[in-house]
Amino acid sequence: MSLRCYFSQLLRSRLSAHSNTYKNSVRHATYKASPFAEDIEPTVKYEVSKNPEEWKYVERALPLTIVPQPIRKESYPSGWKPQTEDVKKLPYLVQRTKNHMIPVYLQISQRGVRRHTFVRKIQGDINLLEQELKEFLQKESFQPIRSQVNELTGIIRINGDHVNAIKYFLEKKNL
Amino acid sequence: MSNTTEKALNLLRYLPRVCISNIRDNPGAHKQARRGRGQHGGDYHGAGNKGAKARQSYTRLGYEMGNNPFYLRFPFEPYYKGHHLKRQYPPVSLLNLQKLIDTNRIDTTKPIDLVAIMNTGLFRLYPDQQHFGFQLTDEGADIFSAKINLEIQWTSEPVIAAIERAGGFVTTAYYDAQSLHAMINTKKFFERGIPIPRRMMPPPDAIEYYSNPANRGYLSDPEKISKERLVLAQKYGYTLPKLDDQILEMLKERKDPRQIFYGLHPGWVVNLTDKVILKPLDEELKEYYAS
Repeated sequence: MSLRCYFSQLLRSRLSAHSNTYKNSVRHATYKASPFAEDIEPTVKYEVSKNPEEWKYVERALPLTIVPQPIRKESYPSGWKPQTEDVKKLPYLVQRTKNHMIPVYLQISQRGVRRHTFVRKIQGDINLLEQELKEFLQKESFQPIRSQVNELTGIIRINGDHVNAIKYFLEKKNL
Repeated sequence: MSNTTEKALNLLRYLPRVCISNIRDNPGAHKQARRGRGQHGGDYHGAGNKGAKARQSYTRLGYEMGNNPFYLRFPFEPYYKGHHLKRQYPPVSLLNLQKLIDTNRIDTTKPIDLVAIMNTGLFRLYPDQQHFGFQLTDEGADIFSAKINLEIQWTSEPVIAAIERAGGFVTTAYYDAQSLHAMINTKKFFERGIPIPRRMMPPPDAIEYYSNPANRGYLSDPEKISKERLVLAQKYGYTLPKLDDQILEMLKERKDPRQIFYGLHPGWVVNLTDKVILKPLDEELKEYYAS
């Protein structure tokens, strides 16, 4: 028998004397989660208020569980615009995000060297949109615009940082 | 048989059998591992052998291989003293705020405070990183046109002018870290079942800012603030819009300097499951939580 084995047996035999307390002690993950040794009644006097006027203030402090729908207004000073009904006439659709924003993103990789613009949530004729975007961006670019279409996921990837230009293009189409 | 062979055979008869437990390597069969120099025994420090990974792997920012790095070379820069203890106010611009109002993320029919901004879920605040609320910056000051009652932690003069020109009110208010913890995630705070803390007074170096009517500080005299509103209107060349009676009550709503939620007093415990509020009756507690 190895020395370790011997020690563990010795330990077990010693512990058997206190086996009851050893088995009954429950290990709680945190101190806070462990139950009280005895039930503690609140020692402080308090009153229970069920005033609906006061509860309105509690509800005001609580966050909404969903993103609210924007209200239709004549003008939006911030420059943000909602999608209009005209988009149904177009052969493609760029769906808004759950925050009602245009899903155009910039991805920077290779230590800031590689910049790709992603247009997401595209439905309908994705190739036509790619053609139109390319034509639009080519005016301001010296080099040919390189792009990739993923029809399955509805994503267009364009080489370079064209986020603001594409957002401008889509806003013009009321998308 | 020769004498030597006989001797050897005789010896073998007495010796134990040759087996795995009593054989060993020939002398000199094993080489001692060489003791490489340097931190990792003369190897490539985790960069691998040759190729792009050994050559195009970048060291951490500021690291100069063997040199004493530049950022450690000078032992004392007095203007950085206590920089890690200074209060930070992450920025929110007026353009951001206008966009939140346009997209219906913030309700302008109610006073806007830190709780309303955090409840949009679009901003982050870390009180443990010395964040003491948001500062409102002047980007989009020209387009801002919402009548709001805003409570923010830090602003500048053009921002105050932009809001008051549109017919709104601004207050700058201080919140200590414990109050901020309650405001950042109100649902989580109410679920903890602990009393709403009382707001602490600002530290000595911030008292001046928050009691200055030019900054619309929450500790300053309201009459002086209304005077400063006129002064700023003259300075920036606009006339203060006439206050609408319908929303005047909302625009005039202010918190107590000890209060952190509108309409809820410090010391109250909110029970979300039973939808009741527990209020202390103890005189000592009442005195502690009093304004």
